Amino acid sequence: MKKSILLIASVFMFSFSTNAQKVEFEEYDLDNGMHVILHQDNSAPVITVEVMYEVGSKDEEDGKTGMAHFYEHLLSTGTKNIPRGKWSEIQSARGGSGNASTSWDRTNYYQSYPSNELKLALWMESERLLHPIIDQKAVDTQNEVVKEEKRQRMDNAPYGKIQYGMVYKHLFDKHNYGRSLIGFIEDLDNAKLDEFKAFYDKWYMPNNAVLVVAGDFEKEETKSLIKDYFEPIPSRTLPNRVQISEPERLEQKRVKEYDANIQLPMIVLMHKTPSMRERDAKVLDVISTILSDGKSSRLQKKMVEDKKKALGVFSFGRPLMDYSVYTIGAIPLGENSLDDLITEMDEEIVKLQTTLISDEDLQKVRNKFENRFVSSNSNIQGIASSLASNYMLMGDTNRINTELELVMSITKEEIREAAKKYLAKNRRVVIDYLPESQKK
Amino acid sequence: MNTKIYTIITFLIFSLSVSAQVDRTKMPVSGPAPKINLGTPKKFKLKNGLQILVVENHKLPRVSVTLNIDNPPMAQGEKSGVESFVGGMLGTGSTTISKEAFDKEVDFLGANISFGSENAFASSLSRYFPRVLELMADAAFNPVFDQKEFDKLKKQTIEAIKSNGKSVAAIAGQVNRALSYGKEHPYGEMTTEKTVKNVTLEDVKNLYNKTFKPNNAYLVVIGDVNYKDVKKQVKKLFSKWEKGNLIPQKLPLVKNPTTTEINFINVSNAVQSEVSVVNTVTLKRDDKDYYATLLANQILGGGSTGRLFKNLREDKGYTYGAYSRIGASRYASRFTASASVRNRVTDSAVVETMKEINKIRYQKVTQVELDIAKAKYLGNFVKAIERPSTIANYALNILINDLPKDYYENYLANINAVTLEDVQNAAIKHFKADNARIIITGKGIDVLNNLEKTDYVIKYFDKEGNPTEKPEMTLPIPNGMTAANVIDQYIEAIGGRENVMNVKTVMMVANATIQGTPIVLTNKKAAPNKTSQIISVMGNTMSKTVFDGESGYQEARGQKMKMQAEQIKEAKSAIGPIADITYKNGKLDRIEPIDGKNYYVIIYDKTEIFYDIKTGLKTKEIKTAKGPNGNVEIPTTFEDYKMISGVSFPFKIGQKMGPMDIEFVVQEIKINEGVTEEDFK
Repeated sequence: MKKSILLIASVFMFSFSTNAQKVEFEEYDLDNGMHVILHQDNSAPVITVEVMYEVGSKDEEDGKTGMAHFYEHLLSTGTKNIPRGKWSEIQSARGGSGNASTSWDRTNYYQSYPSNELKLALWMESERLLHPIIDQKAVDTQNEVVKEEKRQRMDNAPYGKIQYGMVYKHLFDKHNYGRSLIGFIEDLDNAKLDEFKAFYDKWYMPNNAVLVVAGDFEKEETKSLIKDYFEPIPSRTLPNRVQISEPERLEQKRVKEYDANIQLPMIVLMHKTPSMRERDAKVLDVISTILSDGKSSRLQKKMVEDKKKALGVFSFGRPLMDYSVYTIGAIPLGENSLDDLITEMDEEIVKLQTTLISDEDLQKVRNKFENRFVSSNSNIQGIASSLASNYMLMGDTNRINTELELVMSITKEEIREAAKKYLAKNRRVVIDYLPESQKK
Repeated sequence: MNTKIYTIITFLIFSLSVSAQVDRTKMPVSGPAPKINLGTPKKFKLKNGLQILVVENHKLPRVSVTLNIDNPPMAQGEKSGVESFVGGMLGTGSTTISKEAFDKEVDFLGANISFGSENAFASSLSRYFPRVLELMADAAFNPVFDQKEFDKLKKQTIEAIKSNGKSVAAIAGQVNRALSYGKEHPYGEMTTEKTVKNVTLEDVKNLYNKTFKPNNAYLVVIGDVNYKDVKKQVKKLFSKWEKGNLIPQKLPLVKNPTTTEINFINVSNAVQSEVSVVNTVTLKRDDKDYYATLLANQILGGGSTGRLFKNLREDKGYTYGAYSRIGASRYASRFTASASVRNRVTDSAVVETMKEINKIRYQKVTQVELDIAKAKYLGNFVKAIERPSTIANYALNILINDLPKDYYENYLANINAVTLEDVQNAAIKHFKADNARIIITGKGIDVLNNLEKTDYVIKYFDKEGNPTEKPEMTLPIPNGMTAANVIDQYIEAIGGRENVMNVKTVMMVANATIQGTPIVLTNKKAAPNKTSQIISVMGNTMSKTVFDGESGYQEARGQKMKMQAEQIKEAKSAIGPIADITYKNGKLDRIEPIDGKNYYVIIYDKTEIFYDIKTGLKTKEIKTAKGPNGNVEIPTTFEDYKMISGVSFPFKIGQKMGPMDIEFVVQEIKINEGVTEEDFK
C-alpha cells in the first residue's frame, strides 16, 4: 500500500513545475527612487497596500536603541492631514484594517481594504511617509505603550526571551543583532524628541522604501495614482550602512538565562548562520524540516514519540540580512536532564553531518516545501508582504517564484556539508533556559 | 536665457497640475462599492446523518477538509480533560496502519492531519488529497487506543499543565472561564493535574464510543476538487460510520453576581495584571438585537477604534491593547472587556474600563461612531470573500444554528438598520456593569492596596478558581537583616558615618502654607538631645516647643505647659541631632512594596519608619497618637534629599494632620552653626 504511494509521489514530482503557481508582478522605480511592485488579482474585491522601509533595530545607534520599533507606533497615530488619533478611525470607517511590524532589518506598514478604497490607502501611506506627527505628546504616550508591549510579549510571557531573540546577545558580540529588538527601556526613556526626529530624517525616505499594491485594481489607473501620491515626495541621501562583521566562534559557549514565567526548563542550541540571501540559508531550512517538522521528523520521532524524553522539540532558522540565527531546542519531559537532551540532539546532528539523507527523506522535504509554498501565496496580504521582503531583503523580487525551484535543487551532499559547517559544536552557544526559581 | 524662462514656466505648470490632481488636505472619497458574490457550497447528506458541504475553488492546487461533530457541550467532572485524550489518541495508529507508518506517510505527503475530541482536520496539495482523506477517515473510525500511547500522552498532558503553571495569561484564561461559567458547567470546567490523573484509557474509549458519531456531524471540503469525485469518495469512506444514541445533556445555569465584585487571583511572578470585566449573556445569532450588540461591542472595544483602546492605550498608555468581545451561542456565552496592564495602574485600568462600559450604557453613542462600526463590519464582510472557507462557514452556521437560508444575504442590511437607540439598548442588556465580575490575575502585593480603595468587594481565588484567603502583603525579611543594618545603610546613603557623627547641631528653616496662611518653621537641634521648634506667622511666634536635655515646655497662644514625665522620657531617648540613629533600637518589622518600590519598615515605639531598599533613604514615618476619637496615624513624608556639608537632608517634608496636607519646603539648613544654648531655654 505504502509503496505504491511512494511511486505515485515520485511520478508527480516531475510534473511539479507545471503545477506550481506563479505569482505575476510588475515592478518599476519612481523618479524619487521609490520602488513599486504591482500584483494584480481580480478574483476577490480586496486590495492591500504595503510599504516596507529598509530600517530595523540593527540600524540603531548604541544608547539610542528602540527607535525603529518606536516608529512603528509613532507612524500609526496621525499626520499633517490626518488628525492625531484618527488614523485607525479613518481606516475602519472605510472598512479597512492594517498593522505594522519591525524586525532587525526592516519595518513594514500595510493596510487592506475593499477594492474601492485604493485611493484612500495610497493617500494614507504617502501621508505616513511625508507628514507624520512627531511631537512630545506622541512620544510620551507611545513610550508607555511600548513598555506595556514589552511586558506583555517578553516579560510576562513564557519563553518570551527566546521567541523575541532577547537571547541573541549571547551569540553576537559585535553585531547589532545582539541587541534587543524592541530596544532598551532606559534608552527610550532618555531619548529626546530631536533624536526621534533625526532617526526619521535619516531613514524614512522614498528611496529607502518599496511600495506594493496587490489585489483587485486596474493597472493604469493605479500607476497614475501612485505617481500622484508618491512621486512628489522628495528623495534624500541614504546614510551609509555600516557592515559589522561578527567573528566566527571557535569554542562552544554555555550560558544560563532565567524566566519567571516558566516551570519547565528548555535547552537551546544557537548558531550564527549565513545571510538569508545565501543558498545555504535555504539548505538550513531544509535541515529544520528533516529535524523537527512533523511527527516522523528525526528529533520529534526520537525524543518525543519513541524515547519520550522531551515534551517538545523545535528547530528553525531566523532569516536575517547580514547573518541568520539557527536555533534548535527542546523542553524535557519528566526527570530527563538538559544534558541528556543535548546528547540526543547531538546524535542527530552528527548523523546529518556524516550520513547522506535517504531519497525518501529528500522527497518528503520537497513535498513539504511545495505545500508550504502553495499555502504561503493564498491571500493578497501575504503575497504583498512576500513581494516586499523578496525585493528588499532578498534582493530579488522574483525569488517569490524561484525559491521553490531552489529548494528542489538542493542535494543530499549540500545538506551534509551545511550541517557540518554551520552546526559544528564549537560554533554554537548553548543556553540553559531555566525557571527563575532555580536562580541561586 | 530664453530656455531658462521656458523651464520655469513648465515647472510652474507642472507643479500646478500636480496639486490640481492631488489635494492632500482632503481625504479621498470611496470609489463605487465592489460587487459581492456570495457563492453557496454544494451539499449532500448520508443516511447516518452526516452532512457534507463542498466548495470548489481551483485558484490554488490544495484542498482542506474539516469534520465537525456538533454535539451539545458535556461536563466531565472529576475526569475533566478526558475529551482532549480522544483527540490526542486519534491518529496514533489504526487497525489498518501503525502510528509510525501513519506519521511517516502524512509527513511524506507534506500534508497535515489533526484531531480534536469532536473534530478532525486535514489539508494537502490537491494531488494527494484522495489518499489524505482516506488516511483521515481510517484514523477517525478504526482507532486502536494503545495503552502505551495513552501513558505517553498522559505524561505529556500533565507536563504541559505544569509548564503553564506560571503563565499569567494562561492562568487568567482558565480561571476566568471557571468563575464566569461556574466550575460545573462544561465551559467552566477546569482541567488540572488531578483530573488528568483520574482519566483511564477505558474512559477515553467510552467517550469516543458515545460521542464520536455522525448524528450531528458536518464534513466540509474546500479547494481544488471535483464535486462528483469528492461525493463518491466520501460515500465510500463515511457511509459505514454508525449512528449513536446521544443522551441529552442538562447544562447547569450560569449566574452573574448580584452586585459587581472583584475576583482576585494572586500570581507572584506577574509584571502585568490581566484585567477582565466579565458577565455571561444569553445571545443567539438570530436574536433581534444581535446586530446592535455586535456594533455596541465594536464601538466599546473592537480593535484600535474602540473606546477602550483609545482610552486605556492611546490616551493613558496603560496597556498594549484593550478590547471587548461578546459571544453568541446556543448554550452560554460571555461579554468580556479586558486588558493586560502594568501592575501600578491596575486599579486605574479597572476604573477606566468600568467608566467606558457605563458610558455606553447611559449615553447614546454618536452617529459617527455607529457609522464607523458599520463600515468596519462591511469591510470585514467584503474582505472575508477572499477566503474560500467563508462560503463554507456561512453555510455551516446556517445549518448549525438553524438560521434562515438568506441569513448572510441580509446580514449587511441588518447591520445597516441598527439605530443609536438599538445600540444603547443592547449595551444596557448585555454589558452588565452592575452584575459583572472584575477578574484580576496579578501580583497581589503590588496591586491590592490600591484595589482596596475602589468601591468593589474583593473576593480571592486560587489558580484553580477555588475561594482562598487574601495573599500576604509583605515580603520576607532576608536572613540576618536587622533594624541596625537598615539604619547603617541609611547613614551610608546620607553621607557616611564620619560625616553624620560630625553633626553636632542642625538648624532648619522651612516654609509651608496652612489654609492660605504662610507659616515658617524653625527647628534647632543639638547633641545629644536638645530640641527647639518655633512656628511663626508673619514674624509672630505661634507656638514653641523646647527641650534642654532635662526638661522642656510647650508654649502656644501665650500659654506655657511643662512637659510631662512621659514626654521627657521620649525626648531624652534621642541620640544626636539625626534621630534615625535611635531607631537602631527598633524592630525591623517587614518589607512592604508600595507603588512598585520595596521598603524596610522599622517599628520604634509608636512610630513606623520606611526606608527605600534601593536608595537606603528614609521616605516616611507614621506616628500613632491618641486622638479624641481613638488612635490616629500621623504620616510624615521625606523627599528631595540635598547634601549640606556632606550630609543629605530632605528638602520636602509632608505631613498629614487629619484632613489637612501640609508641605514644608526647606529654605535653609545649617550644620554646626546658628544654634546656641539660648535656643533651648
